[in-house]
Amino acid sequence: MPDFSLTAEQEGLRDLARKFARTEMAPHAAECDRAGRFPEEIYRKAFELGLMNLNVPTEYGGSGLGVVDQCLIVEELAHACGGMTTSVIANCLALEPILLGGNPEQKDRYLKPFCAEYHLASFCLTEPSGGSDAGGLKTRARRDGDDYVLDGEKCFITNAPHASLYTVFATIDPELHHRGITAFVVPRSATGVTPGKDEEKMGHRASSTSTVRFDGVRVPASDRLGGEGEGFGLAMRTLDQTRTPIGALATGIAQAALDHAAAYALKRQTFGKPIAEHQAIQIKLANMAQAVHAARLLTWHAAWSIDHGAKGTLESSIAKCFASDAALHVADEAIQTFGGYGYMKEFPVEKLLRDAKLTQIYEGANEIQRTVIARELLRQYA
Amino acid sequence: MEIVVCVKPVPDAETRLRAAADGKTLDAEGVKFVLAGYDESAVEQALLLKESIPGSKVHAIAYGPAPRTEEVLRAAIALGCDQATWVDAAGDSSGDPVTAARALAGVLAGVPRDLVLLGKQAGDDESGIVPAALGQLLGVPDFSCVVDLRWDPAGTRFRFQRPVETGVESWAVPTPLVIGLQQAWNDPRTAKLPAILKSRKAPIGRTTPASASAHSLPEKFELPPPRTGARLIEYKTPQEAAEKLVRVLREEAKVFP
Repeated sequence: MPDFSLTAEQEGLRDLARKFARTEMAPHAAECDRAGRFPEEIYRKAFELGLMNLNVPTEYGGSGLGVVDQCLIVEELAHACGGMTTSVIANCLALEPILLGGNPEQKDRYLKPFCAEYHLASFCLTEPSGGSDAGGLKTRARRDGDDYVLDGEKCFITNAPHASLYTVFATIDPELHHRGITAFVVPRSATGVTPGKDEEKMGHRASSTSTVRFDGVRVPASDRLGGEGEGFGLAMRTLDQTRTPIGALATGIAQAALDHAAAYALKRQTFGKPIAEHQAIQIKLANMAQAVHAARLLTWHAAWSIDHGAKGTLESSIAKCFASDAALHVADEAIQTFGGYGYMKEFPVEKLLRDAKLTQIYEGANEIQRTVIARELLRQYA
Repeated sequence: MEIVVCVKPVPDAETRLRAAADGKTLDAEGVKFVLAGYDESAVEQALLLKESIPGSKVHAIAYGPAPRTEEVLRAAIALGCDQATWVDAAGDSSGDPVTAARALAGVLAGVPRDLVLLGKQAGDDESGIVPAALGQLLGVPDFSCVVDLRWDPAGTRFRFQRPVETGVESWAVPTPLVIGLQQAWNDPRTAKLPAILKSRKAPIGRTTPASASAHSLPEKFELPPPRTGARLIEYKTPQEAAEKLVRVLREEAKVFP
């Protein structure tokens, strides 16, 4: 039987994340959401406490955590603010291709200086013409002597305006489709790299998102991750590692929604008693609790599988897809529990719905997750 | 500078508490114990002194039962203390401050110490007795409710202040001494993630008190009654509000004659 108890180390990590979330993030969540402010001072503090480069081994200056540990931290952070959490964990996504595809010299060269100080990195896969169809991306990488020359545009790139490092996926030949995709590490300082303006978003407004243009950017071949044409596989393996923490992020939002709804239901009176004593609200809360609990357990299971050597494609897709759908549903029900107040920006729950929505879209839209789940599932029956 | 900081595990403010079956103590089952309040400030101050006085070491010592006491010592190590000693309270769950002070003094007598720092009182029983008792048992000066503690290297003495009801006292005292710190006049740091992981593997010394001393137990332990709801007074004019409020305070709450 699996063991669901946490180790003392894991409780320590969770307590740290909880304390940081409550004291540093939560007090600023509403203000950052309203103003669309990127609270860099909070992200710096997260870095200083070791809450940022969670997946990078300690020998390179990261925190060296497994996926279960990462999920425990991410859920706590997301309880305070989904948008801030996305920006805090964006480095994990951006650096994972280096961890998986970089040679020892590259890991030393990129990761050590990067992790030694506060830096942000961005994972550049999605393009204006499509995100789910990653095999069809259009950014070109033309070989020119010892260099490649990158031309193209990426969009919806988390932290891009503030990042000093980009992991970029480009094709050496669009005709080759996904077999032409190749990964590169590109510093922000390279000539021809231009992040666009910060996008106005529905939610995750404390996070920063923009396009990144690459205009004739010269990248030495020594900054290529893996071989030519190995980029697509690298991107997919990266997402297999980072998808599960998105399940944890969604679980954190859902738990926050449940917490707000239950506390409000005990306080708010109608027909002479707290609405928590009305069965209609009890059923709502019970269903919300089931969704949160299931989301967390699926996330933990996927994380545990990956930590125990599984590829985790199926498990992480199930966790991410279920938890993000659960987050949207639970946030929606929290608003309903609050009634008219829930619809008002002065109360905290409408933000949760807006933040939850993105978890169904990013790091692989849930339609893609279901495609993956069906493919993996049917393989077992074929 | 050899700095010893004494800490006590206290229930986390967010933990739900209940009385134990004997009706005389707190039920520790499921209670999360933390290093909190005054002691957190004391650890912070010990670390600030260590950082400002070259060659200093901080030794954290705590008296209490397993596993909570070891947990707060690990928290102290994660924050930056160099060494930790757990004085095992074994069966003593009374929380009696004099028993605690005797047990701590037994260990303190045998370790290098220029300064013994602790919170002026624990966040749970708030007895405030241990700093004074330690001073007496160790035969060194003790001061409580201390703020603005600084080392004066020229004068080789500690300078600090004590806000008292009638004003503020300033002191300059050579080592050794015992200091009970006021809470929240420094800003306690947060342990970093790598330090938290490392603290789990740190060795923690364990001793048992030389002699189990008799201690007192309360006759009964009860949680405060749950708070009743607020009462709203409806009014149309401020004058009406004041009149109604005064009537309630006088006739129902009987605050005024």
